[in-house]
Amino acid sequence: MLDMITKFSACCKAAGLKVSPLEVIDCMSQLRHIDATDEAAFRSLLMANFIKSRRDQPRFLEIYHLFFHELRTSFQDAVEESDDPETPKQKRVKEIIEKIREELGENMEGLENLLDYLGGDPEDFLNEVQEIHNMVEQRSMAIKVKSNMGQLSNRLSVMLKINQIRQKALQLAGDLDAEGDTFTRREIEAYFATMLDRSFDLLTRDKRPDNIALKEVSRTDPRFFDIGEKPFATLTPVEMERTKEITDRLVRKLKDMATRRYAARNKGVLDVRKTLRRAGRFQGVPLELHFRDKPLRKGKIVALCDVSGSVWSVARFMLAILYSLQECFNGIKSYAFVSDVADITPLFKDNPVNEAIEKVFSESGIDTRMLTDYGSSFVSFRERHMQELSTKTTLLIIGDARSNYQNPHQEILEEMRDRCRRVIWLNPEPMTTWSSGDSEMFTYKAHCHEIRPCRNLNQLVTFIEELVL
Amino acid sequence: MEFRSIEHVIEALSASRYIPSTEIATVVFLAAATQKPILVEGPAGVGKTELAKSISLYLDRPLIRMQCYEGLDESKALYEWEYAKQLLYTQMVKDKIHSVVDSADTLAEAVEKISEQEDAFFSERFLQARPLLKAIQSEKPVVLLIDEVDKSDPEFEAFLLELLSDFQVSIPEIGTIKAKSIPFVLLTSNNYRDMSDALKRRCIHLFIDYPEIETEKEIVRMKIPGIEEALLDKLVRTVANMRNLDLKKRPCISETLDWARSLMILQADTITPELLASTLNMLVKFKSDAELVKERLETVIA
Repeated sequence: MLDMITKFSACCKAAGLKVSPLEVIDCMSQLRHIDATDEAAFRSLLMANFIKSRRDQPRFLEIYHLFFHELRTSFQDAVEESDDPETPKQKRVKEIIEKIREELGENMEGLENLLDYLGGDPEDFLNEVQEIHNMVEQRSMAIKVKSNMGQLSNRLSVMLKINQIRQKALQLAGDLDAEGDTFTRREIEAYFATMLDRSFDLLTRDKRPDNIALKEVSRTDPRFFDIGEKPFATLTPVEMERTKEITDRLVRKLKDMATRRYAARNKGVLDVRKTLRRAGRFQGVPLELHFRDKPLRKGKIVALCDVSGSVWSVARFMLAILYSLQECFNGIKSYAFVSDVADITPLFKDNPVNEAIEKVFSESGIDTRMLTDYGSSFVSFRERHMQELSTKTTLLIIGDARSNYQNPHQEILEEMRDRCRRVIWLNPEPMTTWSSGDSEMFTYKAHCHEIRPCRNLNQLVTFIEELVL
Repeated sequence: MEFRSIEHVIEALSASRYIPSTEIATVVFLAAATQKPILVEGPAGVGKTELAKSISLYLDRPLIRMQCYEGLDESKALYEWEYAKQLLYTQMVKDKIHSVVDSADTLAEAVEKISEQEDAFFSERFLQARPLLKAIQSEKPVVLLIDEVDKSDPEFEAFLLELLSDFQVSIPEIGTIKAKSIPFVLLTSNNYRDMSDALKRRCIHLFIDYPEIETEKEIVRMKIPGIEEALLDKLVRTVANMRNLDLKKRPCISETLDWARSLMILQADTITPELLASTLNMLVKFKSDAELVKERLETVIA
């Protein structure tokens, strides 16, 4: 049993789940308490120990099914360990795989993982698939045209290998038929067919973790009737001015409230030790009371703002909002990105709002004519600014998630989520268009705590209030 | 009265008015057998807190509940010094000190004598136990519910680690206090934020979703005996349909129960769109949600 559990845990790890040795030990000690042949209990036990968040559940169930049902003929076979762990059918499968190995001989390069997977040991293959999914494009200095072909071509080469093996296996399944076999050739063929289909699936389907706790805010209470529902992009300069006034007023109000709240909270409890120490000066009478200072809980915000052409009209407005939020929060860090990330915090600190925004476009070093690429922006954020994220940070991403069909690198967003307190995504597009075209919003939403459209004043006002209070 | 098997957990919890799925029962059984805390996740109102209550009810252990919130610190969760008493004590000591040092001839001897006295100032006598300390100091084992742990600050999570893995707490002035009895610990989370890996590693994980139609029916039947089957079926299905809508707050089990009760009072025998519209306040808590449901009355009713 230990052997099987460790093998399964290795597969889980290869598929990107975090399973530590301690969890395997826990599992083994808990197995004593249940009947391991009862599958529901067995699965619950593994699930309760191996995954610690609902988001990983679908991935776990997939691996579980692959490991205990598809690779082994049935769950009973997997659990009951007899002297001869292999059924005649499994033996035949092994024979065919051996035969393929022999025949391919020299041309085996890159096929090992796939054959191991067919033989019942999927760990290396899962690892390979995981690596392909998480592949980061190499930046080429010479070629200015960007592509995300690396990942695709790697996938393609594995797909070709799958097809190559499929043909060989079908051919061999017929050749190796023996007298007295209790299974039919069809069964063997079906085994290979489902297993290879499955490998295809693993390779092509992007993992989409289920994000049950996601807060999707789609509707807001109407508040400003005349300009409140008008998209930012269609505001006239006069309306723009009014909108800015309203948000400025709001930010000022919130700032006052936040300060008051901190002031009240800041008065900590009596510090007995210090008070008594001081009392010694006055013959033991505690004349001076000392309170334990409570450090302010400083919420930190890291904001990533898309400033590309597609959100051009909104970007300026969003930058203005970020600028005013800076007054509300102490530790706000702002970054602008198109396909690379630039720290614009210093620009915001040293300049008045309008100049600061102009400078973001002219001096920050961001090339706004480039194609938007969320994936590569995430890659550079991870390289250079990841240390800004901590358990106290709220990560605010402002953008339409349109990434021009480049590799979205959602695993980096997942990593960012792991490091910070909350991830909130503001999308300047209406929710109905999020699933269309090159929008990666549905990929990214699996890793956010909160997503909301933010394209008019009402939505913005509601958001800022919820963020601060 | 501990749990003997998974089936026993199902029986026992049902007897204390909680209907668990096999998965819930398995996890509860394992946690009881290995004395590990359970981290329970799930949307609001699916019975996470209720689970803790019924475990405490069945095991006949007191339930100590600690509600977490932003800014919660160790003085509210773990312990606090009773400084009023401590100040009184200094006065007492001042008066008594003469009698102790009276017989001493030299200063060194007096100091020696004082140090021989009990160091009572920072002792358990002046320690005011808060929920977590109470839970491990209790002679009788308790059920400890740390509710909405995701609302607390990361610092607070760090306090919990020692408690959850070794069932002990360290108080700088006194030392380590070990648990007299190991509590049955449940932590609940709405996923407001992710918990640290260190905390997750110390717990076994359980996810509770909205119940299946049959389970929810059973829950309503148990809490509101005498409800008519046809009405019950329609009611539960209607709520399930409403959960599929894009609502700000989806109706939870307790809202199903409230609605069922009000339908009983109204002596309704079936659910019509008009009836749903007029009793909607029992199920949805936002004006915009109510409007959305009203737009789709026909499709919502099963």
